[in-house]
Amino acid sequence: MKISRLKISNFRSIKEADIQFGAVTVLIGTNNAGKSAILDAIRIALTRRWGQRGTGFTEYDVHLCEGRPDPKVGDPVVIEVELQEAVANEWPEDLHSELEDIIQLDPITGRASIIMRVSCSWEAAEESFVPRWEFLNVDRNALAGRGARAVNLQEFFQFLPVFYLEALRDVADEFSSRSQFWGKLLRTVQIPEPLEQKSKRIFDLLNRRLLEADPLLADLATGLSNISRVATSDAPGQADLRLLPLNTWDILSKAEVIYQTEDNKPWLPLARHGQGVQSLSVMFLFKAFVELILKDLYRPESAAVLALEEPETHLHPQAARSLWHHVSELPGQKIVTTHSPYFLQHVPFRDIRVVRVEADGTRVSSLPREFRASVPHVPQIDTIVANSGGLITYDRGLAELVLSGALPQNQYRDLLVAYGGRPDTANIHAALRKASETSQEFISDAELEKLETFARRIRGEIFFARRWLLVEGQSEYHLVHGIAKGLGYDLDEHGVAVIDFQNNGSPEIFAVLARALGYPWLAVVDGDPAGDDYIARISAKSFSAEEITRRTSSLPAGFLEEQLVADGLQNELKGILVSFGNVGAVGFDDATLIAALENDKSGYAAVLAKQCAENAALAQRMPEPFRNAILALRGLT
Amino acid sequence: MTDTALSIALSELTETQSVAVDWRDGPMFVLAGPGSGKTRVLTTRVAKLLSDTPDRSFRVLALTFTNKAADEMSARVTALVPEQERRALIGTFHSFCMQMLQQHGSHIGINPDFAIYSLDVDRQDILRDAIKRAGLSQDDVRLLSTIDKLKSRLIQPTGSSRYFHDASDGARVEQVYAAYEAALTQANALDFGSLIAQSHRLVTDFPGIAGRYRKTYAYWMFDEFQDTTDGQYRLIRALAGEDFGNVFAVADDDQIIYQWNGASYQQIQRFRADFSPHELQLPTNYRCPPAIVTAANRLVVHNSQRTNAKQPLEAGKTLLRYPNEQQIRIMRFSSDEVEATSVAKGIAKIDQVRWGEVAVLARTRFMLEKLQSALTQNQVNAVISQRRDDFRSPQFLWLAAVLRQALRPLDRRALETLTGAFNRWFGTDARVDLIITAAELTERSLLDEWAVAVKAGLDDDVNGNALVDLAASFAKEPSRFKHFIDKVLAMIPAQDDEASDIAEDRAAWSDLVRSIGKAIGHDAPLEQFLQELALRSKEAPVGSSTVTLMTIHAAKGKEFDHVYVVGMAEDILPSFQSLKAGENSAEMEEERRNCFVAITRAREWLCLSYADSYRGWSKKPSRFLGEMGFVLPEQPVQ
Repeated sequence: MKISRLKISNFRSIKEADIQFGAVTVLIGTNNAGKSAILDAIRIALTRRWGQRGTGFTEYDVHLCEGRPDPKVGDPVVIEVELQEAVANEWPEDLHSELEDIIQLDPITGRASIIMRVSCSWEAAEESFVPRWEFLNVDRNALAGRGARAVNLQEFFQFLPVFYLEALRDVADEFSSRSQFWGKLLRTVQIPEPLEQKSKRIFDLLNRRLLEADPLLADLATGLSNISRVATSDAPGQADLRLLPLNTWDILSKAEVIYQTEDNKPWLPLARHGQGVQSLSVMFLFKAFVELILKDLYRPESAAVLALEEPETHLHPQAARSLWHHVSELPGQKIVTTHSPYFLQHVPFRDIRVVRVEADGTRVSSLPREFRASVPHVPQIDTIVANSGGLITYDRGLAELVLSGALPQNQYRDLLVAYGGRPDTANIHAALRKASETSQEFISDAELEKLETFARRIRGEIFFARRWLLVEGQSEYHLVHGIAKGLGYDLDEHGVAVIDFQNNGSPEIFAVLARALGYPWLAVVDGDPAGDDYIARISAKSFSAEEITRRTSSLPAGFLEEQLVADGLQNELKGILVSFGNVGAVGFDDATLIAALENDKSGYAAVLAKQCAENAALAQRMPEPFRNAILALRGLT
Repeated sequence: MTDTALSIALSELTETQSVAVDWRDGPMFVLAGPGSGKTRVLTTRVAKLLSDTPDRSFRVLALTFTNKAADEMSARVTALVPEQERRALIGTFHSFCMQMLQQHGSHIGINPDFAIYSLDVDRQDILRDAIKRAGLSQDDVRLLSTIDKLKSRLIQPTGSSRYFHDASDGARVEQVYAAYEAALTQANALDFGSLIAQSHRLVTDFPGIAGRYRKTYAYWMFDEFQDTTDGQYRLIRALAGEDFGNVFAVADDDQIIYQWNGASYQQIQRFRADFSPHELQLPTNYRCPPAIVTAANRLVVHNSQRTNAKQPLEAGKTLLRYPNEQQIRIMRFSSDEVEATSVAKGIAKIDQVRWGEVAVLARTRFMLEKLQSALTQNQVNAVISQRRDDFRSPQFLWLAAVLRQALRPLDRRALETLTGAFNRWFGTDARVDLIITAAELTERSLLDEWAVAVKAGLDDDVNGNALVDLAASFAKEPSRFKHFIDKVLAMIPAQDDEASDIAEDRAAWSDLVRSIGKAIGHDAPLEQFLQELALRSKEAPVGSSTVTLMTIHAAKGKEFDHVYVVGMAEDILPSFQSLKAGENSAEMEEERRNCFVAITRAREWLCLSYADSYRGWSKKPSRFLGEMGFVLPEQPVQ
């Protein structure tokens, strides 16, 4: 069992969010974007401790905004957790039976789902924020009868224990006898009674011998006996010195991990190793915990949910890069936050969630395989579904229409008609419109596959950028960096990723990616047939003419070298060629110059870029489309 | 500890009972005579199934016919296997259907928080409104019973006209039925008939849901299977699908007494045909003394609508209070008046502490009322025990109606009840129509307007004003209904006059709260509390030194040390209608089973009495007396 979807309203920085989860989900975003809010929402929703009042929410958890200055007034905080089988009977039989009363069913496919809602608002009568946990039916109404009994919640939590590994993982804490994993592991260790007794006798004997070895120790013990006279009543107490453990738990609780990095290095306790090793060891401790005792502590069918903050902490880039592999192999469902491009490099696109703060709060973007609209089932849609060739399905277990790709206009219209003439038509149409619009952002597995192949090198960094600038190749890549610096707008400092799309796939895939994930982007292409083709390919991805005009431009004079010459930069360009040893370059006519530059594309561009960076006046003479793009990047949405 | 409770229970079973309890997979039909320990068999089987499979998580479903019986069964199962109790779903057909619709009803447009309309007055109101809105004739309110008949046959409104010979009659019923159902849906409400009919619709429209129940509930048990109606049987059938066979039904074809309500020997025959169950008989009667067992056997062989190979009852009771010849007494009186007085005098001679173990049974309520006044004259406490759909005292009617109003602020029916009840309680004269008009004008809630209206007539009645304020502030936060109930209970007087029903209602209320708490927990929200309240009878538990007066129908499943069956005369038992239907009619057989049920309620002693005249008409002694082989007195007792 795993969380398939989380909906959050009015929680901390999040006004509204709807996030799908897979076996592993990686949240990226700047500090304070709302990543921790998402992890905390899961933690609060799934770890309610019964009988503890005030668990869960405080006034600081209520999303505040211009229209809502007072947390006590307004809509409640709502966290809705959905779990659904991918296929019927995916969940173990015992889980089905135990959770029978809260399970909802897709009566057609037989897939089970569970929907839990936690909501919280200020209750004047109680003078506190009162949370309310409830399970819902497919219409999102609270279940009544057996489904509403408190005992269901305890059972449910047993099947879905949540563990949280914060970014600051302190080995001293995590490997203490009171810690969540290590402590519990130690407590399950069973020493046979005879061995326990024997150890105790040996410790006692040794302890006595050691005390006898030096009279100082014996005197110390006698002196300490006086404590009890003062501390307790008049009954004379006794104190003794214990140099050895009292019992086996004493020994176990002091157990520690020692670790040898290489064959000839010394064995050292974990705490003596570097931070990276320490941080890693905690993750592997979690793995051991789940594999060894989770089933005993919870249930045989329990599946852990691990909220893992920044697994890359303190790790070398090479280690961070291979970390993905280890994290994805951890047991249970993983929800990971990261700030590491290296870590992200191997994360499948579909598993990435981009979290960012916008004017109306946190927004979460992703590349879903499907788009959902909460609309009721009506018989009229059955034909539309049947004729859609699998594009449209209806999920009766969650009462949602599911689009597995971009919805064509005619089918969209058919759906609108199917839901016409109802009292709730306006709401349904709005939900359909939203799903239809977002479905236009669909990116197929085949396209993503291409990106995986070509763009692996740059994907780590582009996802951590704030804006994207698409250019054709290496020369442009160098040049725009230089020009921008010369114009006083350092692209790196301002979080602009320049993507040379020819080396990394195709321009349209990046444009679509940018749209789906919410990265503001611009593209500058050559003013030649190839450049025109690039723009045409972008347009074909359902971008409006207005968007294309706003985001794309081409060099009016043709390709880059033609443009540079047209912009009157012959002298600078010839100078660079001469500095490369091409002394004849001084006498080149424009055509020969262009041809020579084309032969040495990135070489001259790198030098020209460097010159621009240091010379604002030169930068000002560079091709206008580049300069305009750099200007437009500021504040681009 | 638990093991011992169960192993003791298992060791106390007879050989045949053990066979039934140990039965594991496959369909089983147990023909269990009266007093044969069928409840024990059922509860022990549930407990054993659960205890044998501690590491499995399938559940066991056991359905019976009254909430009381279900409560008793689940208390017993809990005592036997406390840690496995969660795996047992023990309830009535109606409570089971309610749960199914709460959980999965959304697929057929039913919200989990539906109200249950159990009162005919409420349902007539709904129908009257529906008729008005649909522009149909007001006379059509009388079609409610026709609608109920259609529903009990699981017929949905659409297309229901084809079940009528007369096309125009059919069309009219269909219209009214459709309007009624639409109005129920609009009110987010279901009536008892819809609970079964909609559940059936749910599992037939979506067989996947039936499949889920088969999987989760690995074993099904049905108590009193002979009383299953056609609709209930078809629901079982639809749930079971083609392959499910772990169905265990306990029945007695000699105790079918709800034929008028759809129960029929047919259902038993259908079960046999559909499931080909293994059959087992439990003929040994551990309840009744031998003389009664003999009489019962002699009586029931006159019926033909019963299992051919049915074994006669065997007397199994070992500790007898009276010798054989004293176990049954036949009495003849000159008139029903004398019969009532004499029986009452006889009861008055019994030691008062044993009155709780005395019951008077009659075919109809008419005789019971006579008996009650006769008993009262003789200073014997007696109550007529029967299902009550509602409370009697204005105090408790008001309390329940305010709860309903708070949850459903637009519910006019609740407003009518609470206004009427409060008027009766405090002598106020608030008028519902004026309250509704006022609410439309001021846009305040009905309850708020009621408060205004009623306060005008209360003057300075401290209690009355306090109750009104309490209700008004409670309506603002219905989630605090527990608090409200406690406050109101504290303000309801113990008993205001001799004829008041407060004490009974209060006893009923605390019994109900206990039973509902057991079923859904004590923290359940108001809407569920009201759903459960609607399902249950509001009858007070019979006090310990009180004689119980019951119709034979109400006595089903009960037992008493001393049983008086009065009115053993032709036209009464057997009834006038059955005589009209003929000697060998199904109706006559049902009357015979009524007699069979009545006499087998007795644990120690049975008195059968008849009079030469009832309501002034002379009557012959019941044929059943002769069939049982009794010699009748030559003269009435003087």
